[in-house]
Amino acid sequence: MYALPYLVLQRLRQAAINARRKNRSWRYLAWSVLAGIANAAMFVLGTAFVVFLWSLALWWLAVPMIAILVVPVIADTLVRFVFVPGGHHRLAYYAALYSRPGTDPPAYALCVAAWAAAGGTAVAWVSAKREARRPLGDAEVAATAFLAAARGDDATARELLRSLPMLVEDHPAVRELAGEWLACDAAERAAWSELEGDAARARWPATPLTYLLEGVAARHTGAAAAPSAGELWARWALAPRHRATLALVIEALAVPRGTGVAPRPADAIGATDAAEQVASDPSPLPRAVAAHLAFEAGPVTAATLEHTVRAWDTALADATTRQWLARRALELDAPPGAVERAIHEVAGAVTDDLSRRAEAAQLGAPPGAAGPVGHGLTRRLRHGRLDALEAAFSRWADRRHDNTRHPAIDEWREFIALMTAYNAAVTAGGIELRRLAFPHAFSKGSNMAAWLWNKREEYALSHAISKWLLAEALVVGDSEAIELGHRNCALAIPTRLGRISS
Amino acid sequence: MKLADNPFFVLGVTTEASRIEVEREAQKLLGMLELGFADARTYATPLGPRERTAEMVRAAVAALRDPYRRLVAELWAHHAPAPKAEPPVPEPPAPARAGLRRALGWRP
Repeated sequence: MYALPYLVLQRLRQAAINARRKNRSWRYLAWSVLAGIANAAMFVLGTAFVVFLWSLALWWLAVPMIAILVVPVIADTLVRFVFVPGGHHRLAYYAALYSRPGTDPPAYALCVAAWAAAGGTAVAWVSAKREARRPLGDAEVAATAFLAAARGDDATARELLRSLPMLVEDHPAVRELAGEWLACDAAERAAWSELEGDAARARWPATPLTYLLEGVAARHTGAAAAPSAGELWARWALAPRHRATLALVIEALAVPRGTGVAPRPADAIGATDAAEQVASDPSPLPRAVAAHLAFEAGPVTAATLEHTVRAWDTALADATTRQWLARRALELDAPPGAVERAIHEVAGAVTDDLSRRAEAAQLGAPPGAAGPVGHGLTRRLRHGRLDALEAAFSRWADRRHDNTRHPAIDEWREFIALMTAYNAAVTAGGIELRRLAFPHAFSKGSNMAAWLWNKREEYALSHAISKWLLAEALVVGDSEAIELGHRNCALAIPTRLGRISS
Repeated sequence: MKLADNPFFVLGVTTEASRIEVEREAQKLLGMLELGFADARTYATPLGPRERTAEMVRAAVAALRDPYRRLVAELWAHHAPAPKAEPPVPEPPAPARAGLRRALGWRP
C-alpha cells in the first residue's frame, strides 16, 4: 500500500530533477517546485509508515524502514547543512551514497567527501578513495579540484573543474557541484561576465544556488536574458543560504534590467589612455616614448601592445627621427654609423622590453607588424614559445619510453597543463604558430593517448587527448591527423556509466 | 636601456646640458650623497621618483662622456614626457567579496 505511491513519488522527483538540469527558464523553477513537493511527500509518507510500524510494536521493521525510506530523502540536506560545514567527510560520503544521486553513487559521494574534507586525515582518506577508483573519470577530477580549493589553491581548482567537459564520463550530480563551485568562485571575484558566459552556454547543470548566482550575474552584465525582479526573488527563495545571498540579490536588482554596469574592457582602457597621452604630441618619436610609458604603467593587453609596437615602428622609420639623430650625432661628434646603430639599439631594447611583458601576459605579436620592433617581437615570441612547447611535449612523451607511471590524476593534470600552454601559445602566435606547433604535439600526444589506452586502461583520459588532437587537426587542416583522430575518437569508451560512443 | 635609469634623469639635467654642466652636476650630487642630503637620494623620472646612489651617478656621467651612448640616452630623454615627482597612483582593484564562497557553503 505504501510502497507504490512512494516509488511513484521517487520516480517523479528524479524525473523533475533530470528535467530541471536541461532547463534555464521558468521551467527550472517549475521543475524545482515539483521536485520539492515530491521530496516532501516522500518524507511524509516514509515517516508515516515508520510511525505506523512503531505503533504496531514492529520497531525492528521500523528501523530499517527509516534507513530505506527517510534517510535518502533528507540525505542531501544533511550533507549541505550539517556534514559539510562540520567537516564530517565520512558521514558526508555515506549520506551522499544513500541520497540516490543516480548511476554510480560513489562518484557523487567522493566529491561530497572532498567538499567536506578539512585537515590532513580527511584529505588522505578522500585521496585513498579516489585512487581506489579506476579508471579516471569526472568525479576523480572534481574531487581533486575541491581538495585543492580547500587548501586555498583556487587556480588549480578552477583549471581542473574547467577541464571536466573534456571527459566523456558525465555524472550530472558531479557536474552540478562543479558548476556551483565555479559560480560561487566567480561571484566572490565579482567575475560576472565569466559567470554569465557559463550560464549562456549552459556549461553545467545548475543547482538552485548556481541558478540564482547566474541570475545575479545576468543583471550585472545587462544580459538580454537577465531575470526580472520577480524571477530573481523566486530564484532566491529556491536557493539555500538566504542570508548570504540576500545582499547579492538587492545589489543586482539595483542595476536596471538590460542596462548592466559591465566593466570597461581592459583593452579599451589601455588603448584609450595611451592614445590620450600621446595625442597631444604630433611627432612620432615622443608619441612612441609616451606609448611605451603608458604600456609599462597600464594593463598589458593586445590593444596596448599593438598600439606601442606601431608607434615605435612608425617613429623609427620616420624621416624626422633620422634627421634629428643625424644632427645630434654631428653636434656630439659621434662615430660614423651612429645613427643606424642607435636606431638598431633602441629597436632591440624596445623589443626586449615588450616581448618580456607580452610573454608574461601570454600575448602574441600584433598581426601585420612590419617594422623592426614588430618583426623582432614576432620572431622572438614565436621561437621562444615553440621551443618551450616542443620541449614540454617531448618530456611528457618520454615517460612512455621509460614506462614511468604517474597516478591517473597526475597524468590528467600534466595533459591539462600542456594543453593550456599550447592554447596560450597558439592563441598568441596565430595560425602560423599553430601549424608549426601541431605536428610535434600530435606525434607525442597520439603516442601518449595510445599508451594510456592500451597499457594504463585510462580510457576517458586517452579519449580526451585524442579528441583534443582531432579538434586541433581540423583547425590546421592536417588530413592524416584528421583521419587518425576520427578513428581513435570513434572507439567506444568503457566508463562506469557504460560504454560511451562519441 | 631602462627609461627610469636614463643618465639625464639620474643626474637631473636636460639633454641640452653641456659636458661641463654634466660633470659639475655629477660632482655636486656625489658630494651631497656623501654628506647624506635627503634631496639627493631620489630623482624624478616620467615613471615617478627613483632612488639615486653614488654608483648610478658615476655610471651616468661615464655614459654621457661617450658621444654614442649620449646620443642613445638623448633619444629617450629628449622625447620623454616631463618627469614626475610623485609615483603614479595605482588603480583601485575590482570590487570583490572576500569570504562569499565560504558564506555560500564552500571552503576555504
